[in-house]
Amino acid sequence: MEFKLNNEQIEIKRAAREFAEKEFTPELALEYDQKEEFPLGLYKKAAQLGFTSMRIPCEYGGQGYGVLEDCIVVEELCRVDPGLGVAVSLGNLMVPDVLLRHGNEEQKQRYIPPLAKGEKIAAAAFTEPEHGSDITRMDSTAKKTGDEWTINGAKEFITNAPIADTFIILCQSDPNAQPSHRGQSIFLVEKGMPGLEATKLHGKMGIKPCVTGSLCMSDLKVPDANLVGELNKGFYYTLELFDGTRITVAAQAVGMAQGAFEKALNYAKTRKQFGQPIINFQAVSFKLADMTIKIEAARLMMYKAAWLYDKEKPNPVATSIAKAYASRVAMEVTDDAIQIFGGYGYLADYHVERFHRCAKITEIYEGTSEIQKLTICNYLQKQT
Amino acid sequence: MTAIFVLAEHRQGIIRDITYEMLTKAHEIAQKTNTELTAVILGKSAKEKAKPLTEYAQKVLIIEDQKLENFTSDAYQKVLSTLIKEHKPLLTLIGHTSYGIDLAPRLATELNIPLATDCIDLAFEGGTFTVTRQMYGGKVNTTATARKAQSYMATIRQAAFQPQKPQPPANGQIIEQPSPLTEEAATKRFIEYVLPPPGGVDITAADKLVGIGRGIKDQANMPQMEEFAKTIGAVLACSRPIVDKGWLSNDRQVGSSGKTVKPKLYIALGISGAFQHVLGMKNSDLIIAINKDPNAPIFSFSDYGVVEDLFKIVPALKNKINELKIQK
Amino acid sequence: MDIVVCVKHVPETAEAELKIDSTGKNIEKTGLVYDINEWDDYALEEAVRIKEKQGGTVTAITIGTEDFDSTLRKCLARGADAAIRLTDPKFQGSDAYATAKILHSIIKNLHCDLILCGLQAGDDGSAAVGTILAQLLGVPHATMVKKLELCTGTAKVNRELEGGLEEILEIKLPALFAVSTGINEPRYVSIMGIRKAMQKEIKVLGLADTGLTEAYVGEAGSWLKTEKLYVPPVEKQAEFLKGTPDEVATKIAELLKSRGLI
Repeated sequence: MEFKLNNEQIEIKRAAREFAEKEFTPELALEYDQKEEFPLGLYKKAAQLGFTSMRIPCEYGGQGYGVLEDCIVVEELCRVDPGLGVAVSLGNLMVPDVLLRHGNEEQKQRYIPPLAKGEKIAAAAFTEPEHGSDITRMDSTAKKTGDEWTINGAKEFITNAPIADTFIILCQSDPNAQPSHRGQSIFLVEKGMPGLEATKLHGKMGIKPCVTGSLCMSDLKVPDANLVGELNKGFYYTLELFDGTRITVAAQAVGMAQGAFEKALNYAKTRKQFGQPIINFQAVSFKLADMTIKIEAARLMMYKAAWLYDKEKPNPVATSIAKAYASRVAMEVTDDAIQIFGGYGYLADYHVERFHRCAKITEIYEGTSEIQKLTICNYLQKQT
Repeated sequence: MTAIFVLAEHRQGIIRDITYEMLTKAHEIAQKTNTELTAVILGKSAKEKAKPLTEYAQKVLIIEDQKLENFTSDAYQKVLSTLIKEHKPLLTLIGHTSYGIDLAPRLATELNIPLATDCIDLAFEGGTFTVTRQMYGGKVNTTATARKAQSYMATIRQAAFQPQKPQPPANGQIIEQPSPLTEEAATKRFIEYVLPPPGGVDITAADKLVGIGRGIKDQANMPQMEEFAKTIGAVLACSRPIVDKGWLSNDRQVGSSGKTVKPKLYIALGISGAFQHVLGMKNSDLIIAINKDPNAPIFSFSDYGVVEDLFKIVPALKNKINELKIQK
Repeated sequence: MDIVVCVKHVPETAEAELKIDSTGKNIEKTGLVYDINEWDDYALEEAVRIKEKQGGTVTAITIGTEDFDSTLRKCLARGADAAIRLTDPKFQGSDAYATAKILHSIIKNLHCDLILCGLQAGDDGSAAVGTILAQLLGVPHATMVKKLELCTGTAKVNRELEGGLEEILEIKLPALFAVSTGINEPRYVSIMGIRKAMQKEIKVLGLADTGLTEAYVGEAGSWLKTEKLYVPPVEKQAEFLKGTPDEVATKIAELLKSRGLI
């Protein structure tokens, strides 16, 4: 057992940190938090350096690393700024994963390299207005006529929807399938296809530079060649996808916690009350110690889940443990950071409140914490 | 009698201040070590420049040669190594300047004379050559001693010593020696000077300057800084990193590789205070520094300091000044 | 064009509070973050750019402990082809002269048309190693190089002089140049670069490989010996203005007004 990153991973961590520290300036972070705009320039810059395609194999223009290396990068980006970090690291969200596993060679060659290089942006559309955590039934339908599919329906809370060039959309392709999830399929859709419309969602609590929107499909015609993998296997493809992406969310959470913690530590060392730095007061220093313990534990869980994914096989329980815990830690640590800053912590200019607002999403997306606990409980029930 | 050599530095016909600063310090060392202070000047027409040096030094050694018209470290090295071998001075002082940095380490190596660079103080203590230098961008001082030798060399930081004419003047003797140079240097050739682009802003003429440094972080913050400077009627100046990044042209740079300024007000924003910068602004009438780092050396050169994020102070200060303007 | 770049691994101290350690001859180094020396960063970038334009190789060389490998790996990731680390307990305490001697012992046996180094290091700030090395190697040099243009057999360099003035020199190759910051814009380390770097080996050499004896390295081979370090006495301490940003702003505004500056 070895509890340290290897030299290559250390270099990756350092490179991501250096990039984020130089590019994600506090001023820029504030600006994008207010504008609710995707940082396209930063995304392209990060992509050119390979930070956004860690898990895509080299032959498709990616870096050919595993989930662990990807998580190292994501943590570092979110440590400097949670909003910009999430936005940049989610530019080619999930689409390459699905295509790599189930797409045919033509689909892979055509869609993955532009995403890996940051030339294009992807969106994966699963959630619907009526179906969030429960995706066993989709209201969006795909009907086949000849060699063409007609898609109708709506998707909600879709990351990158308003700016994406390439979409995958989960639809009910067989409305009569029993159980219903055996009748779902995934389709590749491109921006500009008639019948596809995206609307930007405003007023999110956090991760504002990561744009979110809804999709409306009305008589959207998609060639049969755009079906991903086998017909009616979409539900299963989606589930296996989450095993990897949930670890990445844990990495986001660890990064956010770490970033807020460092700000609080620094503040506690310089802020003076009653004639001495506030870190000298146990009420503050113990808080900092607790934050350290939580972050360390969350990081180890995240590393372990990633390591299992890369070295053995995806472990849904380890993944759920990591995600549920890290996201809770992110909420608690960013909250404590605000508390240490006192009144200043409540101000945007001191940045920690943004970390707190952003942290909340990690308890919600890619399966809420409750869904993670369900996974863990299912496992416990099966234990004899 | 053994000598202390001071290499007079001149460019485009003018003897540079570092020369007198070194002569002042060397005068003190010469008295303590009972040595003879010797200014050494090389050039095409060095003789006409020798006069002011005689006020400081007991001897002024002159080497005139067409080939010494412009400084090149090659030619200077050849001449000086000949002189040092011949006169065996106890100590040779050279400016820690663009010329001295190019020349001294090579010369010392050729002669195998212990060299200390960028000294801010030096002395012979019980026969040991001891120097004071700075490390970590001026945050730490170090005392170092040189290996025992017949002869030593040091390069001296600019403005480390206040020039002061000895009273009475030394009335030094001018001695001309033949140039040992026989041919043009084959490996290094001076082509020309490049003047800073004309038409820029003359920061040396401004009454008020806002100096910005690394703490500005992002080019996107430049308009805010320009606006702030405008509000208080100041001209924007900067430390080196800002020019390196191309955010301001080098005519705005304050410091040893830029301009020396002496405005009525200098507000240093996000400037740590490396000596190269401080050199160019420390004589301003009123210096106010704003920096997040309470240990930034700039605070040792400022009248007033604020330990805070400049992006919090600048907008607040801009508002206050605007309010005052309205009240008027 | 084969280029050797001399690099150093130094602590970042611009925003750190420095303390002197118990020996009194060094700073307390725990907690400091190390990276490639800022000036060397530009030297490396310049070397890689020349290589990308004209072909050839870039070799990064340093003297130091295993920790220094991270700076060498950074060089490799940014485009260097080979890396050499010279390490030996006997190298401890080397000043600029001994450092140059050690570098010389290895570089003299490498084929190179150009040697680049940073003007100075952010820790000791000697600004001397490169120039001493040039003398030992018997090649011409220039320091404070702000622009470097290579022609056949020669280089045209702009040197920075004081006050914004520059001079242009023509120098025969092979040569050594000590570059100033701002000569280029160093690139970021890319993931592709890291992958390539990991496939390259860092060659580690010791005192025996240098052909030098103990007398030429470390304190024994140095011109200068550090006696003590101390935090410099304050020439003049600023009067600190305290309070909220608004309060501080009011104080400054009043100060400026009272001095007739606004």
